[in-house]
Amino acid sequence: MATAALNPVPQVVAHRVERAPSGLVGWITTTDHKRIGILYLVTSFVFFLLGGVEALLMRLQLGEANNTLITPEVYNQLFTMHGTIMLFVFLGPFAFAGLGNYLVPLMIGAPDMAFPRFNSLSYWLYLGGFLLMSAGFLTNNGAANFGWFGYAPLTEAIHSPGPGADLWIIGVGLTGLSGIFTAVNIITTIFTLRAPGMVMFRMPIFVWNQMVTMFLLLLAFPVLTSAFALLWIDRHLGGHFFDQNDGGQPILWQNLFWFFGHPEVYILALPYFGIVTEVLATMSKKPVFGYKGMIGATLSIGALSMGVWAHHMYTTGAVLLPFFAAMSLLIAVPTGIKFFNWIGTMWRGTITLNTAVLFCLGFLVMFLFGGITGVILAQPVLDFQLHNTYFIVAHFHYVMFGGSAFAAFAGIYYWYPKMTGRLLSEKLGKLSFTVMFIGFNLCFFPQHDLGLRGMPRRIETYSAHMGWNFLNMLSSIGAYIAGVGVLITVCNLFVSYRKGEIAGDNPWDGQTLEWACSSPPPDHNFEALPPIRSERPLWDANHPDQLTKVGH
Amino acid sequence: MKVESRTILGASLFLAATGAVYWALVYKHGHQTEASGIAMLIFGFAAYGMLFGYLMLQYVRRQGHPRPEDSFDATMADGEGEIAYFPSASIWPAGLALGMILGGVGAVWGLWYVIIGGIIFFGAVLGWVIESDVPEDDQNLQAPH
Repeated sequence: MATAALNPVPQVVAHRVERAPSGLVGWITTTDHKRIGILYLVTSFVFFLLGGVEALLMRLQLGEANNTLITPEVYNQLFTMHGTIMLFVFLGPFAFAGLGNYLVPLMIGAPDMAFPRFNSLSYWLYLGGFLLMSAGFLTNNGAANFGWFGYAPLTEAIHSPGPGADLWIIGVGLTGLSGIFTAVNIITTIFTLRAPGMVMFRMPIFVWNQMVTMFLLLLAFPVLTSAFALLWIDRHLGGHFFDQNDGGQPILWQNLFWFFGHPEVYILALPYFGIVTEVLATMSKKPVFGYKGMIGATLSIGALSMGVWAHHMYTTGAVLLPFFAAMSLLIAVPTGIKFFNWIGTMWRGTITLNTAVLFCLGFLVMFLFGGITGVILAQPVLDFQLHNTYFIVAHFHYVMFGGSAFAAFAGIYYWYPKMTGRLLSEKLGKLSFTVMFIGFNLCFFPQHDLGLRGMPRRIETYSAHMGWNFLNMLSSIGAYIAGVGVLITVCNLFVSYRKGEIAGDNPWDGQTLEWACSSPPPDHNFEALPPIRSERPLWDANHPDQLTKVGH
Repeated sequence: MKVESRTILGASLFLAATGAVYWALVYKHGHQTEASGIAMLIFGFAAYGMLFGYLMLQYVRRQGHPRPEDSFDATMADGEGEIAYFPSASIWPAGLALGMILGGVGAVWGLWYVIIGGIIFFGAVLGWVIESDVPEDDQNLQAPH
């Protein structure tokens, strides 16, 4: 591969004069964005496996009618913690904190994050938040058991006594605080630490998506924190914010929660859109198709996501249906633009069909499917029929698992060589993708039909006369197949760490700056940077005969 | 700072417009109980508006002296000089987090944890602040601008 002369980076002055501690102390005290990023990635992936085990237990219970394997109380705790773990401590932090920490400074040519110690504080609060919310399992009454969106008045002290619920509130609250700190950090980094010439409209799409995600997070999480404060006052200090009997309004909780909850859905999706964009562009050896259109779409999705919260509340009868239906349907437009741009990026490209690309293609298919069922659910007439059925469960798993989590795997296969210096095994990767893809669809596709046949979500068992047996069995088998697929990647991560092929600095002929430094990158990242004249500076440096067209 | 501030201005104005339409529709259709949504949209508008204001101020202050990262043809040499202070490894963030987590445990299980957590918390704040002193030979360094 052609290597061009790289300009030195005169502006970076290393101040890490003391020798960094090694071993465990090194990890605990680290302020290096790459190490903190890896801590986030590893921790959140472990949480993903834990949440996955909870899901498999639930599928084991639902595999046949009238099953008594798991008691209703434990089942309630399982689905609550499964949702909480996957949404609050896996999908979000994996992308915006893990990959965000690792990649944003590298992609914009910065030596570190703007606030390195603040960054470390975020990670430890995140870990503590998880430990607290999970500590509920060790208490007498068990962990929180009211579902991940904790509807009032079920969460009031009289209906959910015991420390499990309190631990959940504090734990999720701490995780939210950690997210806010990360948001401040990443936004400041993007605004103030870009390399010379890295104007906003030359930043990789991944960085743009991170930025929009962080702005959403800044607006959404404080609302959740304040809702938790009100709930805490209700539970412990004699308040009645959500207590109907004393003049409170349970629906206030729903408004507050979903005003956080819907931007949260896009906090869990936008960074993954960024991953897919980067992988597809690099692997097609083309610039991102419609770069500015892509940014516009991200901004529109971000903005619209703040005006659609009550589409989770159609059936309450207390929301303005036409407004929320219109806003929800509108989101399909920028999302559609993204799909066209992804296809346009691949169009006539020289596509390398490796594992990362396969996961991206899987993402495109399944996220599109989840998006289409989303359009169905955005229409009140249909939602009234399907609300709280397995159709919803299928819909959001297509979005969150088939969409975001598959993109997460694409990101793992794509950036693992940068983080470890070794390539993941393609053979195991492709096997993992195939097994996961089959298992996932077998698990969640039948759930659409189960929903149409009226199976409500969150029931711990069902009667044999309902006609749900076969589809549930199919779904459970699929879940275990998907679990095997995930395990293959886990094995791959371990095996390739020691025995993987040496990757070199730029194994994919990458276009963005993270591939300009060594794998793994040194302290303060860059020895030298190529001149930044387009949104793919490294490509321009390595392929001077195929410079990216710049139109400013 | 121009693009950054305009992006946020866009978000702020979008929330203002959405809030206004929503307010009008809510009252037209008699859903007066939805004051929370209107409040959240207006506060969102104000929150982003403040950020926009701050960034715009930065932009105006730098008028005529664009930062190298905002210049289309800047070279690496334009960014010469020290840009920020990057601290070495530090135990205080983990300590501070431990204090806060123990405070959280205390909220659920009792005062003792809050006292222990509080001591660790303030100890860590103290340690962090003392450590934050930029070494003497680096007096010209500041936090990122």
